[in-house]
Amino acid sequence: MEREAEHMANTVIGSSIVIDGEISGEEDLVVQGTVKGKISLKESLFVEGSGIVEADIQTQNVEVAGKVTGNINASQKVELKSDCRVVGDIRAPRILIADGASFKGNVDMDAKGR
Amino acid sequence: MAQSEQVGIIGKGIVIKGNLTGGGDLVIEGRVEGQIALKNHLTIESTGNVQADIEADELTINGEASGNIDASSKVAINASAKVAGDIKAPRVVIEDGAVFNGSIEMEVKLPEDV
Amino acid sequence: MATNKEMTGGAAGATVIGPTITINGKLSGDEDLTVRGRVEGEVTLTKTLFLEVSGVVKANVSVKNAVISGVVVGNVRATESVELTKEGRMVGDIAAPRVILVDGASFRGRIEMGDASVSRAAGDRVGRPARVSARPSAPPRPPPPPRAEARGMANSKSTVTPILSKMESKSPPVPPALAAGKRKVVVRKRER
Repeated sequence: MEREAEHMANTVIGSSIVIDGEISGEEDLVVQGTVKGKISLKESLFVEGSGIVEADIQTQNVEVAGKVTGNINASQKVELKSDCRVVGDIRAPRILIADGASFKGNVDMDAKGR
Repeated sequence: MAQSEQVGIIGKGIVIKGNLTGGGDLVIEGRVEGQIALKNHLTIESTGNVQADIEADELTINGEASGNIDASSKVAINASAKVAGDIKAPRVVIEDGAVFNGSIEMEVKLPEDV
Repeated sequence: MATNKEMTGGAAGATVIGPTITINGKLSGDEDLTVRGRVEGEVTLTKTLFLEVSGVVKANVSVKNAVISGVVVGNVRATESVELTKEGRMVGDIAAPRVILVDGASFRGRIEMGDASVSRAAGDRVGRPARVSARPSAPPRPPPPPRAEARGMANSKSTVTPILSKMESKSPPVPPALAAGKRKVVVRKRER
């Protein structure tokens, strides 16, 4: 019953899903719905256009096209795509903010991410 | 009575109040109230109505049964059955369409981290 | 949205929780959910929960349908059906109008399908729609004799499963004889 997300991932949180709690795992996660709480992954987090994340995020990579409110801590890279809205501090060795992205917070690219 | 593979049948119009015991198979098409203890297979046909505690090796229910059931191999509650009571057996099968209210105790092997 | 190739493919989206994911908290939604990982807490869906063989749900579940091939520890309430497949393992209570246990499934707990024409005492099998009702017996009838059986409270079905929705359906005319055994009696003072 897998539906294609923008990214190939085993785990997709669909657009009508609301999760209030903590998510952790060792695989990619695509969020098209709403997550409040905490996200901790060893792989990549993709917050798609419809995704709303109100959580502190700790992963390897993060790609945001939707809304994130919370601190992001990535060991490799954070990418804010155009039309996204992020409020919170970002800490990652590599950061890419596309034209059109909306971001408010601190950025820390100190190489000793995590 | 010979305890061979004879099948006893309690016909549709028969009503028994009391204890039933035996070593052969039994098919109930009528009504039994009381206690049943069989060493083999008890079948309650769709016209059967048993208000009794039942002990048997295997039980196939197509009719009505109310009481506690203790089977040493399997209980099959088929689509036309209506059962109420507590069931204790290593295997219990409930078919789509059956009506059951009560508890079931099978052995459930859970993984350690649950 | 420019880059938003939101492939909400197909009618109801299909959310999949992968095998290495653990969710601890409350999950709710209006789409089907396939769990291959672990969910602890609460699950509320208006559609179907598919718990695959590798999945573990340690939660109270409230859904339309549930197909369980993994492990459930918790109560499951469904408005339509619950099926435990042959790899399914569950400890907890089930409340649903249709419950299917496939040969090979393991289950320990209660099952309430409601509308059983056979209840422990004299059942009242008169036309009750197949819903998960907590009490098969009819609501208090107009002139109950005050000294009547006060064991009306001993309604086995309703006390056991707190998860059942107490749907007080409209009372079908219950023939007096049948209701005799299990009546919820309201003892009130009658003016003489």
